[in-house]
Amino acid sequence: MVNGKSKGIFTATVLSNRRIGECFYTMDLEFAGAGARAFAEFRPGQFLQVDVSTLALPPEDKIPPELRDICRRNVLLRRPFSFADVAIRGENTIAELLYCALGPASVRMTTLAAGDPLNVIGPLGNGFHVPKDKHTALLIVGGMGAPPIRCLARLLRAERPDMKIVAFVGAKSAAAIPFEGNFAHVSQQVDFFIPAFAKLGIPSVVATDDGSAGYRGFITGRLALWLNEQAALPLERTILCACGPEPMLSAVARIAAERNIDCQVSMERRMACGIGVCQSCAVECRIEGSTETIYKLCCQDGPVFDSRTVVFDARTEAVEEMGLAQAIKEGQASPAVDKARVLEALEHGEEDRH
Amino acid sequence: MVKKTDIDISVDFAGLRLANPVFTASGTCGYADEMGDYMDVNALGGFITKSITLRPRKGNPTPRIVETDAGMLNAIGLANMGLDRFIEEKLPIIAKMSVPVFVNVAGELIEEYVAVVERLAREDAITGFELNISCPNVAKGGISFGRDPRQVSEITSAVRKAAGDRVLIVKLSPNVTDIGIIASAAAEAGADALSLVNTFTAMVIDIETRRPALANRTGGLSGPAIKPIAVYLVNRVYNDVARAAGIPILGLGGIRTAADAIEFIIAGASAVAVGTASFIQPDCASRIVDGIREYCVRHNVAKLSDLVGSLSPK
Repeated sequence: MVNGKSKGIFTATVLSNRRIGECFYTMDLEFAGAGARAFAEFRPGQFLQVDVSTLALPPEDKIPPELRDICRRNVLLRRPFSFADVAIRGENTIAELLYCALGPASVRMTTLAAGDPLNVIGPLGNGFHVPKDKHTALLIVGGMGAPPIRCLARLLRAERPDMKIVAFVGAKSAAAIPFEGNFAHVSQQVDFFIPAFAKLGIPSVVATDDGSAGYRGFITGRLALWLNEQAALPLERTILCACGPEPMLSAVARIAAERNIDCQVSMERRMACGIGVCQSCAVECRIEGSTETIYKLCCQDGPVFDSRTVVFDARTEAVEEMGLAQAIKEGQASPAVDKARVLEALEHGEEDRH
Repeated sequence: MVKKTDIDISVDFAGLRLANPVFTASGTCGYADEMGDYMDVNALGGFITKSITLRPRKGNPTPRIVETDAGMLNAIGLANMGLDRFIEEKLPIIAKMSVPVFVNVAGELIEEYVAVVERLAREDAITGFELNISCPNVAKGGISFGRDPRQVSEITSAVRKAAGDRVLIVKLSPNVTDIGIIASAAAEAGADALSLVNTFTAMVIDIETRRPALANRTGGLSGPAIKPIAVYLVNRVYNDVARAAGIPILGLGGIRTAADAIEFIIAGASAVAVGTASFIQPDCASRIVDGIREYCVRHNVAKLSDLVGSLSPK
C-alpha cells in the first residue's frame, strides 16, 4: 500500500464529461503545473476530494424524477472519488473520473462542461500494492467500486506484462455494470466481455443480482466457484484486490482467508475532510496478537487495507453470508434471501445519499 | 483612507497580543502537522488542537457524521491518542510552531482535566487551554459539566489552578436554557476567555430504515446552519457577561468567510474560530485573515479591535 509524495489543493480543468450508461458518467480532467506533478504520482486506490458545493443543479427536467427531491438538498462537504485512469500528456496529467449520478452531489457534477474548473484535494490515502512475487491478480469489482480496479488493471498490465489477471465484475443488473459496452447476453464463463479490461488483454467474469448478465447471484459466489476450479493455481503467488460494497468486501476477505490468499480491500466510509483531521472515517481493525481492536482512518491508513486486519460490519457480513451460502448451495440459482436487507446493504454508491 | 499595509488586525486576547483574530476550531485541524500541505498555520492568530484526554479514546462506531442541508452532524466521541502519546508525538511539532497553541482538554472526571492541564502547563510550547465542557457526543463528562452552573464553576476553578500562568478558555455549549448563567459561572470561577458555541445536539433519521443516520443516534450540528444562532449567543453573552467581566469571547459556529468572521466580531467576539469550513477548504482560516484585512480597507477601519462589539445600538 503505497502513496505518492506531494498532495495539495488543485484546480483541474474539465476536458469532457459524458454519459456512458444508465446513470454512469465519465469525466476527463486535466491538471497543469504542481497539480500535474502531484497526480502523475497517483496510485490506483488513492482518492481525491472534489468540491461540488459551488455547482448548480441541472434544469429539473434533466434530473431523473426519483432523484428530484433528494437533489434539492444543498451540498456542503467534498465528495471522495478514485480515478479510473491517469495518463501523462506532455507537461500535463489527464485523469478519468468515473461516477454515477445518484444524489445531490453527483447530479450536480453532470452539469460540468469542457473548460470548467473543478477544485480537488489529492492525491490522498494509500493505494493498492501488488508485491513483486505475485504472478496472478484477481481483481474484484462490485458496482461503483469499478474506478480504482480499472486503474489498477492498467497499471499492472503496463508494469507487469507477464502477470495473469482476471477481472470479476458484479452489479445489480446488466444495465448497472459500470463500464461502456452491451452486456445483455454475456455468459457466466470467463471471456473478454468488458471492453475496458479486454483492451488490456484481461478476461472478465460477470455476475448480476437479477441474472440479466453473466452469473445470477453475487460476484463473490462466482469467485468462489472459479477458485474451486483452479486446482493448479499457486495460491501463495496470487493476490485478490477488491473494491465495492462492504458486504462484498467482507465475503472476498473470507474467501481469501479460507484459502490463505493475500487480499487487499478498498474500504469506503463517510468522510468530511479526507485529510485525517475530522476522524469521521473510522475503520475497525484488529491488532496483531490481541483481541482488542482499534479504529484506523479510512482516509489516512486506507482506503486500501490488508483484508486480514479489517473487522467488517457484522450486519453487512451476515447479509452477504446468506446470499453467498445460498448461491454456492444452489450453483447458479438466484440467492433466495431476505431481499430488502440485501438491497439495503448493497445500495451501490450509497455514499452520495448522506 | 487607510492602506492595507497600515491596518492593524492584531487583537488583545486574555492578556495576549495576537497577530490576528483567526483561530482553528478544536477537532477540525488535528494537531497542526496534518495541515502543513494546505496552509501556513503560523499565519493564524491562534491554533486550538483536537481534544486531548488523559487516556486514549477509541471514539464512537461509524457512521460518525452525516451531512445536512447547510451543515453536518458529527459524533466522533472524542477519539484521541491520549496525553502520553500527545506529549511524545505532537508536542515536539507544536514546539516548532510560532502561532500560539491552545490544547483542547476533555474528560469524564474533574481530576482527569486537572491531570492533563497540570502536566501540559509545564510545557513552554503551550500558550493555554480550551476547556471542553460541551461535547454532546460522549456518555460521561463532556456536556454534563457544561449544563450545570455549579459544576461549571467547580471544574473551571480546579483547572484554573492547574493551568498556572497559562490562558484558560472555557468552551460553552449552546444546549442549555440560559447560556448567560453558564457564562457567568465560568467567568466568576476564573476563565480568562469564553469560546462559544460548540455544536447543537441534533438528529437525522433514515426514513427507509427508521434508524438514526449516526451510530451514536444523535450528533452535534455545525456549519453554516448554526451561524445566525451562534452570532446571537455571542452578542448576548457579550452584552450580559463578558463586557462587564472584561473577558474576551472567541466566537465560532458556521464561519466560512471573512464576512462571517466580521459578523461575530461586530457581535462582540474578540477573536473567531473556523471549524467545519476547514474540512471543505483546508486553507479557509488563512484566507479569512486576508479577507478581514480587505474588509478593514473597504470600511476605513484602522484598528480591527475597534470593531469588537461595535453593533449599532439601534
